[in-house]
Amino acid sequence: MEQLNTLWMSTGLANFEMGQVIMMLVGCGLLYLAIARNFEPLLLVPMGFGAILTNIPLAGFSEVGGLLHYVYYAGIDTGIFPLLIFMGVGAMTDFGALIANPKMLFLGAAAQFGIFATLFGAIALNAIPGFEFSLQDASAIAIIGGADGPTAIFLASKLAPELLGAIAVAAYSYMALVPIIQPPIMKLFTNEEERKIEMAQLRHVTKFEKVIFPLAVLLMAIFFLPSAAPLVGMFCLGNLMRECGVVDRLSSTAQNELINIVTIFLGLGVGSKLSAEAFLNVETLGILALGAVAFSIGTTSGVLMAKLMNKLSKDPINPLIGAAGVSAVPMAARVANKVGLEANPHNFLLMHAMGPNVAGVLGSAVAAGILLALVGS
Amino acid sequence: MEALDQLFIEAGTLMLAGMVFVFAFLGLLVVIINAVLTPLASKFPDPVAQSVTRPTLKKPAPQQGVSPTVVAAISAAVSQYRQKHKE
Repeated sequence: MEQLNTLWMSTGLANFEMGQVIMMLVGCGLLYLAIARNFEPLLLVPMGFGAILTNIPLAGFSEVGGLLHYVYYAGIDTGIFPLLIFMGVGAMTDFGALIANPKMLFLGAAAQFGIFATLFGAIALNAIPGFEFSLQDASAIAIIGGADGPTAIFLASKLAPELLGAIAVAAYSYMALVPIIQPPIMKLFTNEEERKIEMAQLRHVTKFEKVIFPLAVLLMAIFFLPSAAPLVGMFCLGNLMRECGVVDRLSSTAQNELINIVTIFLGLGVGSKLSAEAFLNVETLGILALGAVAFSIGTTSGVLMAKLMNKLSKDPINPLIGAAGVSAVPMAARVANKVGLEANPHNFLLMHAMGPNVAGVLGSAVAAGILLALVGS
Repeated sequence: MEALDQLFIEAGTLMLAGMVFVFAFLGLLVVIINAVLTPLASKFPDPVAQSVTRPTLKKPAPQQGVSPTVVAAISAAVSQYRQKHKE
């Protein structure tokens, strides 16, 4: 009889706690979004599965000795995984559209207002009982507005590791929701005439420029913002491998095999942070709400900046491409292109929107560096 | 409440400093591209462009059909496009 009891006590059924069941359902929800709705599936599949694994009673995936525990501490706590992903993103990024029209960097800068405004919002939430965000927490939450998954995970792992799960879930969910969140805001702040604006064709960019560009960006990070150097450095390394033309094998590995392998472990590692005690609280709700605010403000400020530049510049600028300033490459650029086509079926904005789009990646890396430098211990 | 006020002031300063710095950093990058990179680029044109023009200069364009260099360029572009849009 006692043995039967021991056997029963070693089953999952006897040991389930309510929180674990709920978090497994959250994991299933992420899997549903990834598989049925195609929301950022590359990350949400391992993340959702990681959430299920980490909540299995007695299995101890996230305790010392468990797989997910080591995956998290080796890759995410140290910042290695997001940085490797950033190298792969660099190897996939073509800066041609940005070099051809460097003013687009201002759109990428303007869209970062979403980050800093949300920082303010996160502190304001402290007025509501139940919220206690420190400046570090607020900064890590605000970076969701950068619409850049690896940057958000990198910063959160440095500033607020206990919020990492919720921040990663919010960042990737909203990135997947860009085609739903952005168009209404873009239409709200532009009129039909502005959306129809056609832009001048971009000039040809030489290989020389593309090779020097990542080196120039790196040099600036070295001089002015060493705290952003891990992100910017890995990004520039990936981009240089792509553009220099002599290490195609390395470039191809960085943007295919390596980024795929790292994505699996990054997803699992983040999933391991989706435990009931860390996720099921009012702060998670606050983070999800703030993430949406950050995205909306970033989109708005990008569009408004583009309107301003259109007034000041001699070349016409379609304000829609300002929305692409919130990284989320290449989704945000595609959205700008789509909304532009609705207004003017002959107006292809995709290449023009890629400029602010990749500028947004640089912008959010710089913003992350600033936050690290100012509030990181 | 006083602590919250303090946090607000810090957040405000951070917002101001952050935006100024982001604009300054990326603005400087604009200046560098416009002032250094673009002028230099005209001194180092693409080697590919030269190698394409040279053979056509030597062989005065075979009139019938498309020249093999054009075919090569187009097929390279197509395969690159396909690779990029594989997903």
